[in-house]
Parts: sequence; C-alpha cells; structure tokens
Amino acid sequence: MPLTQIFLLLATLAFAGGAVHSLLSLRAGKWNGDRWHWVPVLIGFGLQTMFLYVRGQEVGQCPMKSLSDILLFIAWSMVLLYFMVGSAYRLSLLGVFTAPLVVGMQSLAMLVPNAFPVYPERGKIVALVELHAALALVAYAAFAMAAVTGVMYLLQERLLKAHRIGELFFQLPPIRELARVIFRLVVLGVVLLSVALGISFGLEKAAAGAKLIFAWGVWGLYAVIAVLMWRHLMSPRRMAWLAVGGFVMPFVSLWLIS
Amino acid sequence: MRESETENRVIPICLGLNYRTTPVEVRERIAFPESHLVEALRGVRELPGFAETVVLSTCNRVELYGVLDEVTAEQGFEVLRDFLVRYFKLYEEQAEALSFYHLVAEETVRHLFRVVSGLDSMVLGETEIFGQVKQAYKVALEAGVTGKGLNKMFQQAFQVGKKVRNDTTIQRGSTSVGSVAVDLCEKVFDLQQCRVMLVGAGEMSRTCAQSLMSRGAKSVIVSNRSYDRAVELAAEMGGRALRFDEWEKVLHETDVIISSTSAPHFVIKPEMIEAVMKKRRWEPLFIIDIAVPRDVDPRVNGIDGVFLYDIDALQAIANDGRRERERQLAVCDQIIEEQLTKFGYLQLSASGVSKASVVSEGGLV
Repeated sequence: MPLTQIFLLLATLAFAGGAVHSLLSLRAGKWNGDRWHWVPVLIGFGLQTMFLYVRGQEVGQCPMKSLSDILLFIAWSMVLLYFMVGSAYRLSLLGVFTAPLVVGMQSLAMLVPNAFPVYPERGKIVALVELHAALALVAYAAFAMAAVTGVMYLLQERLLKAHRIGELFFQLPPIRELARVIFRLVVLGVVLLSVALGISFGLEKAAAGAKLIFAWGVWGLYAVIAVLMWRHLMSPRRMAWLAVGGFVMPFVSLWLIS
Repeated sequence: MRESETENRVIPICLGLNYRTTPVEVRERIAFPESHLVEALRGVRELPGFAETVVLSTCNRVELYGVLDEVTAEQGFEVLRDFLVRYFKLYEEQAEALSFYHLVAEETVRHLFRVVSGLDSMVLGETEIFGQVKQAYKVALEAGVTGKGLNKMFQQAFQVGKKVRNDTTIQRGSTSVGSVAVDLCEKVFDLQQCRVMLVGAGEMSRTCAQSLMSRGAKSVIVSNRSYDRAVELAAEMGGRALRFDEWEKVLHETDVIISSTSAPHFVIKPEMIEAVMKKRRWEPLFIIDIAVPRDVDPRVNGIDGVFLYDIDALQAIANDGRRERERQLAVCDQIIEEQLTKFGYLQLSASGVSKASVVSEGGLV
C-alpha cells in the first residue's frame, strides 16, 4: 500500500476512533471530565497533513486535481477550521459532529475509482492557480462547517422544544451562539470564495466553463444565505436548514470541479 | 517505624453543626459574621492545644476545623464548645440546644472532602459551597492561623472537589424550578444580555426572576394587575414596573417572559407571539408559564425561535435533576474514598490513629 494511503487510512481510523470515543463519553456523561477527546482529532489532523505533503511531493503541486485529492483537502481544512472555531467559540463538541463527516469524506475519497491517480508528469506550480484552488476549497470547508454547526443548532433547538434535557443538551452551546457561528462561517466562506473567484479573472488559462459556472452558483447561493442571515429575514431555524441543505450544492459540484 | 510515622501525623478534628443537626433559629445564633471572622480565628488559635484552625460559617453550617497539639480530641472538642458558648454569649439552655458532630482524623478529612464536593449540602451537588470553603480557608491563611496540616488538607480538598465535579455529573442538571429556568435560559441566550419580564407577580415567578437576575440577567420589568405590587417587586429586584395594560407593547423588547397571572384563559396567544417574533427579527424568546390555569397557549411552542415551558415541565426537569444527582452520590463517595487512600488518610486510621485511639490515648474513654 502506498505511503499516502497508509496515512489516509490511519487518519480516517483516528477520526473514527475519536468520534466513537466522544460519543461513548457523552453517553456515559463523562464528556466534561474527558480531557482527551481532542487527541485523536489532532493525530488525525497530523496524518492528514502528512498525506497532503507526500501527495503534494508526488504530483509536484498542491494536491487538488482528482476528486479524492479535493475531498481530502476539504476534510483537512474542516479540521483546521474546527481547531480555530472550536477554541474561539468554546465549541469543543463541534469535533464530535465534524469527525463523522470527515470520516465519510475520507472513506469516499478512498473508495472512488482511480482515487489517487499517478500523473505522467509532475505539475508545474503556478502560484495564482494554487491560491485560487486552495482558497476555493477552504471556502467549501467553511460551508461544510456551517452545515455541521447547522446540525448542532437544529439538534439543540429540537431538545429545547421537546423539553429533553439530557447530557447532549448540557454540552451543546446556546442556540443564539450557534446561529452566530453559522453566520460567521458562511460569511468566511463567501469572502474566501469571492477572493478565489476574483483571482480566476487574473489567470492566464481560464478555468473550464462548467467548473466556473458551478463555482459562481455556489457563491451566489451562499451570498444570498449570508444576506438573509445578516438581515434576519428568516428564523434562525430556517437559516440552519439552509446551511445544512445548502452544502449539497458545493458537495455535488466537487465532481464537476474534478 | 510505624510509631514514628504516627507521631509525625497531624490529627485534624472538626466540631460542627449544620442544617441536618440544628434548626436555623439555633444555627443563626452561632453564625460568625464575615467582619468578625479573623478575630474569631485568632480566638480559636489561642485556645490551649490548637495549633491550626479554619472556621467555615455559612447559612447552612458552622464548622470549626483544627489541628491539635498536646491535647486529646475530646479535650479539644470541649474547649471549642466552651469557646463558642463564650464567644456568642449563649445561655445554658441555648448551649444545650446545640447539636454538634465531632469528627476526628480521617472522618474530618472525609467530611471536608464531601462538603467541598457539595455532597453534604442541602441541595446535593451545589457548587456555591466550594467557593465558601475556599474563602474560609483564604481568610484563615491570611490571618496566619493555618499550618502545614490544614494547608495540605484544604488544598487536597479543593483538588478532590474539582475531581468529583469533573468525573461525575453531580452538579449536572437543576434541582429547583428557579435553577431550571436559569439553565434553560443559558442554553438559549447569553444571560448577561437577557431582558426579563414578569407578567403577574406571584411568588414562584419572583423566585425565577431572582434566579435569573442573580446569574447576571440584564434587566427586569414587572407588570401586575396591582400596580403597587409591581412597583414593590420591581424595586426589590432593581427593575422597573409597568402598568398591566402596557406589557404587550414592550413584549418584543423582552427575551424571557415569566407569566403568572390569575386569568382564567390564555393571555399569551400564538398570533400575539408571531407578531412579536417578526418585530424581534426572529431573536429567540423564552417563555415560562407558571400560572395554573396556564397563561400561555401551548401552540406558541410551535413558533420558530419560541421555547415555552410550563410549571409541570420545569418541575419534571427539576425532579430528573434531583434523581440524577442522587444516582451519582455513590460514585462521588467512591472517588472520595479513593482519594482518602491516595493521600494516606485511611492508612492513618489503619495505623491506629483513629477517633477511638486518639481519645483513648488521652485516657478519656
């Protein structure tokens, strides 16, 4: 098995193990006393980084060509955002919700046919192209994290409405805080995608038509969501649903981008 | 070897009374005011045989911890009791009514660990006592009346208290309607930004509002059919009063509504709240309906961003919280026993330095 795939497999196992451990400690009511739930996530992140580094060496540029490479880059960005958002907003539980999505994306990356193709020639590094692609994928990761936070919002809202006050309820943050985090992640994604699309105007070789149309489509969708959230034109519950459902579009568009 | 170990050990004692042993009308007579605590500590420290001391005086307990030097536990307890009678100028019949517990060696440490962990509190698992013990210890430390023995014991107690809270769910959940209201609010809002409105000024709604205000709620408005009563309650809570025909107009500026009118029909209806939510631009609204018959149409809970809890829902959550804490009690006690072993206090007992032996050494048993 190639080194890259060993890193990937181990990273997936670390995230899966972390998710299971976290769920078990939540069920046992020991989440607060468990100071180790972030360790598997950190190990997984380290292994993801190793994967990206070795794969980057193989392809000669930032590994973002095949669907599997793209899924991996987004998964890596999501974990990076989790570390940033989780500590800034004390959303340690965000990791529990992020890990299954990361496991799903990495499993899919391993299962698709011709997952990590070997290219006959090493790619040339064009800084603007790399920046454009990387920013677009980090923006997609921000949308993915908004979707994950949206799930947390909907869950906490459900628990509050149904008067189901248990361990999960106490660990989830206040819903007003979750609504704010969703909004900020959506805005972050829109800003990053705007910069990425702005850069595409300066590229010597224009991006393929369908790819660009979809990217603008995703930008438009999230720009509308951001405005609706900013102007408080819909209830936070509907916004959370939009953040969750909205991610379907960028996720599907990954096939086209690749 | 064992003998020298025993000699080097510090034998802590505790003379105390609490809400279980002594009624409040007796307890209040021997409560140490904060302003006189240092003076009292020095008084205890000057008693014959008292090398160190800490005095814990709260509304639910008065406990005097000490480390004895050259006197037996029995003598120490007698001296302490006499000190209290003298200090508080108690008559003989008042002194007779005091029902103390006398703890020696590991019993003292176990008791302190349980107190700090909230296991000996009236509300099982409450966290306030941790701060109260910490404060009592700090005052004693600054007064220079503690030493190696009590310093170590209290530091260990704080460690154990934290461990019990971290490793169990003893403080989880709420056990009273007021604290349930606060917990729920904290899962919706940042409490510091929370504006509360009381519609009706019943006793239970007052309790809920006071719980919210004590935890930092931003403001409170009181509206009641009797305006005088609204003014009185608003003044008590540092809020403002509103005439009863005006409360609907400011509903959209409120984050938490606590309703307890005596109206025989719903006073808060879905149409009213839908309009309010539009004005609030979908900011969440938390409604506590304490009235019986209910003031709030239950369909209101179906509106996005509105969370409605009636008295039965709050009471059920409080009952669940109490049951959960009781289930955790055995786990907490197990942790405390493990920590007593770890810190060597059970060996203290096993090596013969127990209550009985300390007392018998002095020849008083």
